[in-house]
Amino acid sequence: MTNTLNIKNRDLVLPGQLIGEKIRSDLECIREGASVFSPIQGLVKLNKREIGVIPLAGIYKPRREDVVIGVITKVLRDRWLVEINSPYSGSMSGEEATRNQSRVDLTDYFRIGDVISAKIARVDEVYSSTLILPWKLTDGQIIEVNPKRVPRIIGKKRSMINMIKEKTRCGIVVGQNGRIWIKGGQDNLVVEAIRKIEREAYTTGLTDRIGEMLDKCIQDTQKTKIKIE
Amino acid sequence: MDEIKLIDEKGIRLDGRKSDEVREIKMEIGVIKRATGSAYIEWGKNKVLAAAYGPRDIHPKHLKDPTRAVLRCKYSMAPFSVDDRKRPGPDRRSSEISKVITEALSSVVLLEQYPDTGIDVFIEILQADAGTRCVGLTAASLALADAGIPMKDLVAACAGGKVNGKLVVDLMKDEDNFGECDLPMAIVPRKKEVVLLQMDGILSRDEFNELYEMVMNGALKVYELQKEVLMKKYQ
Repeated sequence: MTNTLNIKNRDLVLPGQLIGEKIRSDLECIREGASVFSPIQGLVKLNKREIGVIPLAGIYKPRREDVVIGVITKVLRDRWLVEINSPYSGSMSGEEATRNQSRVDLTDYFRIGDVISAKIARVDEVYSSTLILPWKLTDGQIIEVNPKRVPRIIGKKRSMINMIKEKTRCGIVVGQNGRIWIKGGQDNLVVEAIRKIEREAYTTGLTDRIGEMLDKCIQDTQKTKIKIE
Repeated sequence: MDEIKLIDEKGIRLDGRKSDEVREIKMEIGVIKRATGSAYIEWGKNKVLAAAYGPRDIHPKHLKDPTRAVLRCKYSMAPFSVDDRKRPGPDRRSSEISKVITEALSSVVLLEQYPDTGIDVFIEILQADAGTRCVGLTAASLALADAGIPMKDLVAACAGGKVNGKLVVDLMKDEDNFGECDLPMAIVPRKKEVVLLQMDGILSRDEFNELYEMVMNGALKVYELQKEVLMKKYQ
């Protein structure tokens, strides 16, 4: 069995483009006999084991273990319904907040319009998700980004987001659904950095460039502070 | 009645094209910020805008399908798109075109990947000069690709027809109005499958076969342009 590849790693492919023949591919790719085609526009991801396509655009689809930022849309007797920036909504059991959910009013904990960060525990076959470990986000700001850029914003082993947190001294929660919560520190700088990452997501050496940008901005603000004093 | 002369002895058409030549096409994607994906095409004198939204919650709710997404395309012409004012709103013609475009795109979009949702595509004809359903469909498929919606392939469309007894590709307005036949066709370029084929007028079987090949080549040229514009966005 000979494997043929038509592309290199990180090549840009279009919907319907032939990626290769007789190769292992992830479930997203289209297989017709031995040939594998890309279903979307994206960058090819070559591993030792299989081939896949990193999407550049699209909506968020809930996945197990993801941390998301959602808005409470409905309070039922024993659970909350949560909007998670996706066509599929999440539901959270009252047990996440209280032990005797049958006796208390759940609006004591979260009301309609409250913003929470939570983890997805389960996703069923029609993508309805169950949320656990809610954390109410009271102050700070939330920005929305393209959900497909989130892995880039977090970086390999959280390198990018840890660097931003460290340099700007902000509290940041990145939801996989494309919502980012920022609080305290130099929050304007964080927004600027995230927008830059979003724009230049498909270029290399981005972490270093963002680091340089942040350092420069921080130095500038310090200089102006001294001037004012 | 004297026949209106649309092609000269050398086979050159009114706007200087040869019989197998497609009009000049200009494409652009990502033109509408609020849409998930969008495209704008200038094809000769046609100007068409397409925007794709979703996958998103579908309303009315009874259309929901737990096994697949529901694709809805809406073709509409602006009141100022034609010589006489076009009465705005859906009519028999635009309902039909919406339907055939929806069906053409449904065969390439992988709807099973997004159960319980709806994908909406709006096609707005800003300026019409024959062949708008082909332009609309080409733009719609670009908008879907820009939105990151999984598809088996892009859809490229082109029209053909018979004018003064000669077969030509990509009719313009006068050729459409005074010609003998109009044949819009949309294809899935990779497999060369046909997803839309309509015919208005009369052709013999041999003429049809010949025109089919001509239109197929025209659509493949359109496909090349589609690929080019998609690649350009990320370079």
